[in-house]
Amino acid sequence: MNMTATLPAAAAAPRVRPPPEAPKAPKVEHPTVEAMRMFLRNPSAIAGMAMLAIVLAVAIAGPWIHPADPFEIRTAPLTPPFSEDAWLGSDYLGRDVLTTLIYGGRATLLVGAVAALLSVLIGITLGAFSGYYGGRVDGALMRVTEFFQVLPALLFAMVVVTLFSPSLVTVTLAIGIVSWTGTARLTRAEYMKYRGMEFVRAERAIGARDARIIWKVILPNALPPLVVSATLAVGAAILFEAGLSFLGLGDPNQMSWGLMIGSSRQYVLSCWWAVAFPGAAIFVTVLAVSLIGDGLNDALNPKLRER
Amino acid sequence: MLRYLASRLLQGLGLVMAVVILNFVLVHAAPGDPVETIAGASGGMSPELMAQLRTQYGLDRPLPVQLGVYLGKVLQGDLGYSYFFNMPVTAMIAERVPATLLLVLSAVLFAFLVGTALGVLSSRKPNGMLSQFITVLSMVGFAAPVFWVGIMLVILFASVLPILPVAGMRAIDSTGGGIADVLDVLHHLVLPALTLSLVYLAQYSRLARSSMLDVLGSDFIRTARAKGLADRIVLYKHALRNALLPVVTVLGLQFGNVLAGAILVETVFNWPGLGRLAFDSVLRRDYPTILGVLLFSSIVVVVMNQLTDLCYRLIDPRIKAA
Amino acid sequence: MPHLRSTRRAALLSAALLSASALLSLPAGAQEPKRGGTLVIGSTQTPRHLNGAVQSGIATAMPSTQLFASPLRFDDKWNPQPYLAESWKLADDGKSLTLNLRKNAVFHDGKPVTSEDVAFSIMAIKANHPFTTMLGPVEKVDTPDAHTAIIRMSTPHPAIVLAMSPALAPILPKHIYGDGQDLKSHPRNGADAVGSGPFRVTEFKPSQRIVMERFDQFFLPGKPYLDKLIMNITPDAASLMLSLERGEVQMQPFVTVPTDLRRLADNPRVSLTPKGYEGIGALNWLAFNLTKKPLSDVAVRKAIATAIDKNFITKALMGGFAAVADGPIVAGSPFATPDLVRYPLDLKKAAEMLDAAGYKAGANGERFKLTIDYLPGADAQQKNVAEYLRGQLKKVGITVEVRASADFPAWAKRLASHDFDMSMDTVFNWGDPVIGVHRTYLSTNIKPIVWTNTQSYSNPKVDELLDAAGSVVDATQRKAHYAAFEKIVTDELPIVFINQVPYHTAASKSLGNVPTTIWGPMSPLDEVYFK
Repeated sequence: MNMTATLPAAAAAPRVRPPPEAPKAPKVEHPTVEAMRMFLRNPSAIAGMAMLAIVLAVAIAGPWIHPADPFEIRTAPLTPPFSEDAWLGSDYLGRDVLTTLIYGGRATLLVGAVAALLSVLIGITLGAFSGYYGGRVDGALMRVTEFFQVLPALLFAMVVVTLFSPSLVTVTLAIGIVSWTGTARLTRAEYMKYRGMEFVRAERAIGARDARIIWKVILPNALPPLVVSATLAVGAAILFEAGLSFLGLGDPNQMSWGLMIGSSRQYVLSCWWAVAFPGAAIFVTVLAVSLIGDGLNDALNPKLRER
Repeated sequence: MLRYLASRLLQGLGLVMAVVILNFVLVHAAPGDPVETIAGASGGMSPELMAQLRTQYGLDRPLPVQLGVYLGKVLQGDLGYSYFFNMPVTAMIAERVPATLLLVLSAVLFAFLVGTALGVLSSRKPNGMLSQFITVLSMVGFAAPVFWVGIMLVILFASVLPILPVAGMRAIDSTGGGIADVLDVLHHLVLPALTLSLVYLAQYSRLARSSMLDVLGSDFIRTARAKGLADRIVLYKHALRNALLPVVTVLGLQFGNVLAGAILVETVFNWPGLGRLAFDSVLRRDYPTILGVLLFSSIVVVVMNQLTDLCYRLIDPRIKAA
Repeated sequence: MPHLRSTRRAALLSAALLSASALLSLPAGAQEPKRGGTLVIGSTQTPRHLNGAVQSGIATAMPSTQLFASPLRFDDKWNPQPYLAESWKLADDGKSLTLNLRKNAVFHDGKPVTSEDVAFSIMAIKANHPFTTMLGPVEKVDTPDAHTAIIRMSTPHPAIVLAMSPALAPILPKHIYGDGQDLKSHPRNGADAVGSGPFRVTEFKPSQRIVMERFDQFFLPGKPYLDKLIMNITPDAASLMLSLERGEVQMQPFVTVPTDLRRLADNPRVSLTPKGYEGIGALNWLAFNLTKKPLSDVAVRKAIATAIDKNFITKALMGGFAAVADGPIVAGSPFATPDLVRYPLDLKKAAEMLDAAGYKAGANGERFKLTIDYLPGADAQQKNVAEYLRGQLKKVGITVEVRASADFPAWAKRLASHDFDMSMDTVFNWGDPVIGVHRTYLSTNIKPIVWTNTQSYSNPKVDELLDAAGSVVDATQRKAHYAAFEKIVTDELPIVFINQVPYHTAASKSLGNVPTTIWGPMSPLDEVYFK
């Protein structure tokens, strides 16, 4: 596979002395560069990047350009969109929908990113140990994974958040704790695949420590599908946070898109815009993230590359 | 085979127990308790009464004792009584399960049939319009929050196009029974099932398309094509069956997410199912009901996983040999 | 201005309804209401069960008052009316209430209602009902004959009369509920409850609906007019509103949300009335934790009161549907007094008061920080006011942090453990102040539970006045005591009263005799009919 790479070291290339009988490999493009090129040729991936860039720009720079308190009652309640003082309308309290869109992105994106990171970290760690060591360690860790798969994710997160008071921290933790099983399984499969390979055995033969092999040798190779998984995890985490906020279990002191939808739900017949626009924002963000994830998958997937 | 089943069953049981124990400890260890909810519903309560209720519910005993008592009852099939309604939890769950089952089965079935059909059809022309439509649909299905889609449908059918009911499972003054009742329920089922199916629809159509493409591109299909029309039909059917494998797997594993989607959709459409019960119980700190629902859901997931596993082994001889 | 127009409309409508119902309650010669029809009532709250003897609160009261009859009922002027008791007498010393029961009343299972049942029920309520002050001094109930019950009390207790209301004193059949089982979890509290009220229960699906049918042997002949009553529980207020507009639900009580009220006021097929809630006396207020500095200083509390614009709250935040409240007893109560200490809005004065109290503003303009909690689930009355206060108090240099609670138990825990600075709250008077008002101000009621004296307010003079007001029979004297009490409380400000919760009953215009007595929808609907 990557053993015959002759280009200088990058994260994707394993550091290994080539076996003596290795034939002269033809000049191939560095895998990362090739992947990037495929990615950038993919129109939907580009679209995804563009959308995400816009969302991030609004979330980060928006509050500077348009400083306001999203909770503040600024206009008359139930102003329809495209009015003078409320471009996207106001909700049943008189809060400006545009302001909530701008500020709501922060909480949503923050929770999404951190929760996804948490779940990926847990998943990779557990999956790596499970796949690398095998045997009893694998058995035990697989039990744990199965346990969290059987646990109903949303319900458990609801219980955790309700009992420990909803806040950005509890919501992030709750989402992270229930979402890692997919990544764990994937990582385990990858590690099991690599564990028996020659270059890994070679490392072991020269006395490298387990920790080094797990993190510095195998992980860089296993990274591509994990990166895809992580990207999709962000989308899932955002949807999860939106769902919790919608049910009224999000951090009530942080304006988020799900919170806006949830609090305006009772008045949806009088102000559909307070539900439609935040929902559209969530949709666009998650769509962007999934398009990027899909593009990465196509670019990094060796099966597709061979076609 | 039997030993395998037995060991898997035992494993499953262990998992379910672990779920119950963890959650029992969690709900009892956290601040706020159900007696306060009851006091709230009463508009105030004397401290003596609250203490009495706490003793009655066993909330003043040490945690391990409470856990032991609870587990003992569970193993006998007694899930306790709801703190809020004072009705047996098993009865309350049993009353709500059919509604959720109806909702989820219709949604999944609809998504499965329509999604697979779309996927298979589009695999004939991998770059055609239908295929692109499916790609878009799958994106939309995944990215659009299910509760948002539901609310948008509510707005549409409440104000703009009032031909479908947007809340409940039956008409308010229904007296139940007979064909009229069945039609009434089906009428109310359309929107919630449609909303819930969107996510699955997206998944299945994509999955069906890609696995169909995989199989169609394989060697023996090419050989069959070369041989002629009649063989092609037979092998097309064979390809279909193989392509369905991953879809069936996903179908079975889907039930792990059943409760999540159900909670959101049932909340939006006020569908009187298990998801609604779970949500309300969490807010009311109705511990026995929360635990009962968790237990039930875990059992369903474990059973579905085993069934899927079994189906997979039965359908695909290659795996059985492995 | 739209909301003024609708409040006037509401007022006109309620006046019309009032005169209409007055006309219709005339005996022979007046127009006879039509019999028949199914009334669907919508509610967002689900009752735990249907037995009002052991469970208080709005959710239970509505069905309970249809199934169970009480000795007395009340009209819209706070006058007791005969119900199960054809006549009654409160002794001059206030220590006994004699009830003379009707001879023809029977329970839903056909057995007659006797004084034994009354005695059993009163003592059961005393033992099990969450409100302890209601029947506090009751010692026993004598039953000299089958249709006479005498409630004996250890001290004079005029509140006993209002305690005989339908929502508070449902009479249970002893032969069913007196079997020794714990009444609070009695198996017959739900789908097979038996009372002597105008309706019998035929279906009870918790969290979904309650179906009740006319009881043919109800002791008021010819009533109820309705064939069937369905109480439909929809937790989602928007779909409830939709059902009302579509005519699937014909009555919805306890509507408070301004946007809903406006919609309903503009709907030509729906009538809206604020009458019927004087009995329950719901007040929305800001409570202070007097054990915390700087709130322990009355000058600070007065300054905060002076910074609050109640008119903005009631007109802008609540759409003009709520009335300002300035005292601990609702304005419609016979014990309310207009002579209270008030705090007209004056931001400058508030700032000066804070300066004088020794809380000067720091470099950033901040004097001190406070947190404010609020009851979850009632945004228009609670959360919005809390948010408003945050902005308003900032103007006088007080930084307020709004703390949200996920659900009721979380908020209740905070208040119960006195872990709060300020909190919004909604508390009910429940008719006689002894039942719902005393609990907030008595120094003996500082307890770790919600809806007691969580403010830790203590004034021996107030304790004295309340005890006196509760134990003297003469109405004028009671009123005087309460007046003095209200004056002190509004001067010492353990609580800033903000508004009366604007409960309204929305009903289809085809409905006659929409309940507008002081207990409104929490009373038997035997006189309601479809036109």
